[in-house]
Amino acid sequence: MPKIDLTMDVNGRKVVKQSEPHKRLLDFLREDLNLTGTKEGCGAGECGTCSVFVDGKLVKSCLMPAAKADGAKIETIEGLARPGSLTPVQQAFHKTGASQCGYCIPGMVMAATSALRENPDAGIEEIKERLGGNICRCTGYTKIFEAVEIARDVIAGRLPETALDEDATGESFIGANVRRLDAPSKVSGRLKYAADMKMVDMLQMQVLRAPMPHARIVSIDTSEAEAMEGVACVITSADVPGTDGFGVFVHDQPVMARGKVRHFGEAVAAVAAEDLITARRALAKIKVEYEELPGVYAPEDALVDGAPVIHDYAQDNVIKHIPIRKGDIAKGFAEADLILEDEFRTQQVEHAYLEPEAGIAYVDHDDVVTVLSPSQNITHHRHMLAEILALPINKVRFIMSPVGGGFGGKEDMIYQGMLALAAMKTHRPVQLNFTREESLVASAKRHPSRVRYKMGLKWSGEITAIEFDMLSDGGAYGMSSEGVMRKAAILSCGPYEVHNLKVDTKVVYTNNTPSGAFRTFGGMQAQFATESMMDMAAEALDMDPFELRRINMMRIGSRTHTQQELTTASLDRVLDAAEEASRWEAGAPKVRGPRRNDLGGPDTRKPCTLGARIGEPTDTQTKDERVAS
Amino acid sequence: MNRKMRGRGMASSWYGIARTATIDRAGAWAELDDGGTAKIVTGVTEIGEGILTVLAQVAAEELGVRPEDVTIGDNDTSRSPEAAHAGATRQTYMIGNSVALASRDARAKLFAEIADHWDVPVDSLRAFNGELWAQDTNLRMSMDEAVKTCKGRGVVPVGSASFTAHGTGLDPVDGSGSPWQAYVFGTQIAEVEVDTWTGEVQVLGIWAAHDVGRAINPRGVEGQIEGGVVQGLGQALMEDYQTEKGYTTTHGFAKYILPTSLDIPQINCVIVEDPDPLSPLQAKGIGEPALVPTAPAIMNAIYDAIGVRIKSLPATPEKILDALRNHVPGREQIAQSARQDRAEAHRRGL
Amino acid sequence: MLICESYHVPKTLEEALRLWAEAPDGSRLVSGATDILPWAREGRAGDVEIPALIDVTKIPELKGYSCDKGRIRLGAATVYQDFLTDRTLMTNLPCMPYCAIWFADDQIREQATVVGNLVNASPVADGTPPVVALNGEIELTRLEDGAVRRRSVPVADFIEGPGRTLIQPGEIATAVTVDSAYGYGGSFQKVGQRRSLVISVACCAALVRADSTGTVFEDVRLALGGVGPRPIRLRDAERRLKGERITQELIQRVAESAADSVGSRSRKEYRRDVVVNFVRAGLEEALANQPEIGAKFKNFGETENA
Repeated sequence: MPKIDLTMDVNGRKVVKQSEPHKRLLDFLREDLNLTGTKEGCGAGECGTCSVFVDGKLVKSCLMPAAKADGAKIETIEGLARPGSLTPVQQAFHKTGASQCGYCIPGMVMAATSALRENPDAGIEEIKERLGGNICRCTGYTKIFEAVEIARDVIAGRLPETALDEDATGESFIGANVRRLDAPSKVSGRLKYAADMKMVDMLQMQVLRAPMPHARIVSIDTSEAEAMEGVACVITSADVPGTDGFGVFVHDQPVMARGKVRHFGEAVAAVAAEDLITARRALAKIKVEYEELPGVYAPEDALVDGAPVIHDYAQDNVIKHIPIRKGDIAKGFAEADLILEDEFRTQQVEHAYLEPEAGIAYVDHDDVVTVLSPSQNITHHRHMLAEILALPINKVRFIMSPVGGGFGGKEDMIYQGMLALAAMKTHRPVQLNFTREESLVASAKRHPSRVRYKMGLKWSGEITAIEFDMLSDGGAYGMSSEGVMRKAAILSCGPYEVHNLKVDTKVVYTNNTPSGAFRTFGGMQAQFATESMMDMAAEALDMDPFELRRINMMRIGSRTHTQQELTTASLDRVLDAAEEASRWEAGAPKVRGPRRNDLGGPDTRKPCTLGARIGEPTDTQTKDERVAS
Repeated sequence: MNRKMRGRGMASSWYGIARTATIDRAGAWAELDDGGTAKIVTGVTEIGEGILTVLAQVAAEELGVRPEDVTIGDNDTSRSPEAAHAGATRQTYMIGNSVALASRDARAKLFAEIADHWDVPVDSLRAFNGELWAQDTNLRMSMDEAVKTCKGRGVVPVGSASFTAHGTGLDPVDGSGSPWQAYVFGTQIAEVEVDTWTGEVQVLGIWAAHDVGRAINPRGVEGQIEGGVVQGLGQALMEDYQTEKGYTTTHGFAKYILPTSLDIPQINCVIVEDPDPLSPLQAKGIGEPALVPTAPAIMNAIYDAIGVRIKSLPATPEKILDALRNHVPGREQIAQSARQDRAEAHRRGL
Repeated sequence: MLICESYHVPKTLEEALRLWAEAPDGSRLVSGATDILPWAREGRAGDVEIPALIDVTKIPELKGYSCDKGRIRLGAATVYQDFLTDRTLMTNLPCMPYCAIWFADDQIREQATVVGNLVNASPVADGTPPVVALNGEIELTRLEDGAVRRRSVPVADFIEGPGRTLIQPGEIATAVTVDSAYGYGGSFQKVGQRRSLVISVACCAALVRADSTGTVFEDVRLALGGVGPRPIRLRDAERRLKGERITQELIQRVAESAADSVGSRSRKEYRRDVVVNFVRAGLEEALANQPEIGAKFKNFGETENA
């Protein structure tokens, strides 16, 4: 690679380094200076995990060529406070619990710091605007706003410094707001996630991904890639020594595509090389011949006779069907005064944890194949990988690195197998860091669903019967689909005691991006339909929505949809608490928004209008502001 | 219709804690260490929810030390006991109880030695915040001293435990079964403003009441609720991973739109505590349940504001304006008012 | 990823022009670089290997702005954040702060340049309509027989379509010159899937000058983005408003006529609705933002949607 010389002042110290002209400031900081507090969440300026100060202005370092910063003064998260101490902003983040997974937090602390430097008296609207380029997926931003406001007031002297102290503990640590123990390392950028770690002699892996959603692999020729200088190995499914398959309920997914590809972006081969660029260039040298196959792109189409078969073992494309039956729905609907029928749909949703998948594998001195990654299920991954590698279970070791957000999306072993194979083939540590785009195409999503709903009620509001039919798109592999359907079915008709019900949830294979585990595991899709129906029923019955729910709610002794007798039930208390806290004005849900009296209270925010700061500009160039005509 | 229309909607939810329709288990080791500190080893680590802090609180409470004195070992299949996975709203319930039981086991070893050393009944001993004492006596020592004394008598105060949650599978025909031993319930209210000129929806307030059994760390519980609400809001209004004949068209965060700081309602958390009778900590969980009612509450609020029901998520500005454009106020309302008349008649006993 | 063999930071315009004229095929000019780096990623251009990047932001004559004869020349290094921090720019280009606050985010605005946004010629660029409303002319500079030559092209003509402009090989866009609209009220309307860091579905820039009594439109400028392959100046609507009495009815009538300017095939119905509402909201907000007389229009048209 060609070289360039760069000189910068980084966190108050002069840095002179030879680097490469293609590097972004982000790469220079992370790779050349080991300042890994600055993260790469998206590489496209869309998330803010890489925010740093350049000559006093906060910028996204993934959008700045390092050469552009030559001669500049750089301040990173590591430079905000002396080691062992925290700035008021960082202390406030610690106090309020503003960091959860912590991956967005260095960038968020930088954005908060910038906001208060630009305007020490910024109001909450302006603070929100100034944080608008930094995405947090865990916290819901609320504790972050609280932290920035506390820090602002402490810095301005409106609040004493003790406002940053931990809340006092009473006679028990249970129920106390103990500050998060992991927060200091997160707010200061010290916590090392898998992509921040380096090992001596480590190789970089890159993955060749399927360019089409459904195809037979006719041949893979890796010879040219393998011959490249700097390439340590190329792996394909041919390198798998054991039983090639992983999954949560059915092990239907090979480590890399075996014989055919089933979705766009599926791993087909991988390269481990001395550096990232060599690995990426080697991918272009792998020749794969595909024979495109007709695909299935809608779950309804997967069930049609003669639909393309995606997995040989499932000729009908059905991954799982969960039935629940209770009582007699014919009788229940016959007793109903009112029957409502409707259909609801939810979309495919990405977990969007700010930390893209990353990991390192190595073979240790005891010949233990070790994989370090932000896996949400190392126990199960170890079992599966031992089978895949044909190794005794104690020769496979999984270490769970700090997880920069999971939400279910890191329960699937979609890359750890490739890392293990390359480490075994080279006997060198191998690292793979996904790009955001790769994470989006390769990781599981929330199941898109269609629910057909039929609900019978009496005029009194009592639900007499429910028929609930859900069809979900499982995508190309089984992953957690079976469990998601089970949970969707169990929770389907909501927290109401329904004596007559018929529930079916079904998930099918398609050639779409696989669906898998995602926070609520089918629960939200099902209850979105139920809770919409409940309000539609309340309108039809001219009844307050709380009242309708109270009439039907589960209580102690109720039998659930799966006929389990409840020994505790708290919906009554929860409904009361919500109704009271929100100052709910009772009434049927009949488009009464324009007439309500409970709107706009002090427990709501102002609508965002943008431009909170406009109106108080400072003059930066000319004194004479009017430009004469 | 005014340009900006406001409304409110509510939705309830329920959820099961820990793994579904199966037996769930988690193991932990505990040791009272030199200096009155503690070591906890268990096969799970932080995914952001705050479990490390919760475990430190639990261990500190059970062992009589302070949370900051607790060191929690790395999660490693070769170095720590199995605690299964980090998901299913099971961390506080499964790992928390496992750590509580392991800590009690270690504490029992220590207490046995100290009771013998002081010659007091073991059940008179108490420990909290780094101090150990015998009730109704002047006997008191620091946990540092207590560990030294215990070790001087030849005993390392270690403990271990496994916690089990009993769920059963579902019958393959009628689905009957007891999938969980602990359930939680929730209710949320959403207040929205719909811009009928652009179709934009801003959620201005959320009130979220959730039963968590027992809040080990109330601030942490709020954090989970706030995060869940905003993920629910994202799914309700903007997030949409799309493919076209299998090809991904939402390649990055420029196309896959997530909520930012400008989309966040004021979130008012109400923590309800209905203790779990089947576990030592009596806590249940909050990670997943917090997300469930948000989207339907927002859709119900949009309906309240503009009379348009969105049945297909997300409710994008375009979908809202389309719905308003195609909305025939007459038809649905006539059917609706006929139903309401009958309901009214029923109530009056006619 | 973007891989380049060399990165040049010329210190003078002549040096930049010479480097650019001699650069091997495939080389690129960069100013803010906020577009080129995301472009060279999966889903868009993928991995791109190019010979050279030439960074024009360190050239002194491309920095800052100058004012002359009612026009303001914004050097190519002018970034969007400047419209939120510089009093002269804010008061003379009153639609720009409202555009800037919607443009990406605070951090990207520190890097992204107005001229770069124009040269990229994205049909959904937020930065183009306000420049078109301000009668922007882009300045293109080249070397000819060793001498620096400049030409100016109206921005409305310069952008031919998505990614297509009238820039010639060897030319560097060195500035954009716009009208001073001192005393006008300005506004910017945009809708996307959220309010920060988002691509617009449609946007509208408006500039209005009412007479001193606030009863007559003296001047009106309206431009739309996101509704076709290039930005649109609503000349016809402007003509129908200029010199007329300011009434809600007139605004509504003119706004409705703007629907037909939507050329995009995708999401057409939605864009037609939004454009009408944006023209109306744009005019009303611009009136309310006009110095001195804006107060009269603070709640003008807030309530009724015909």
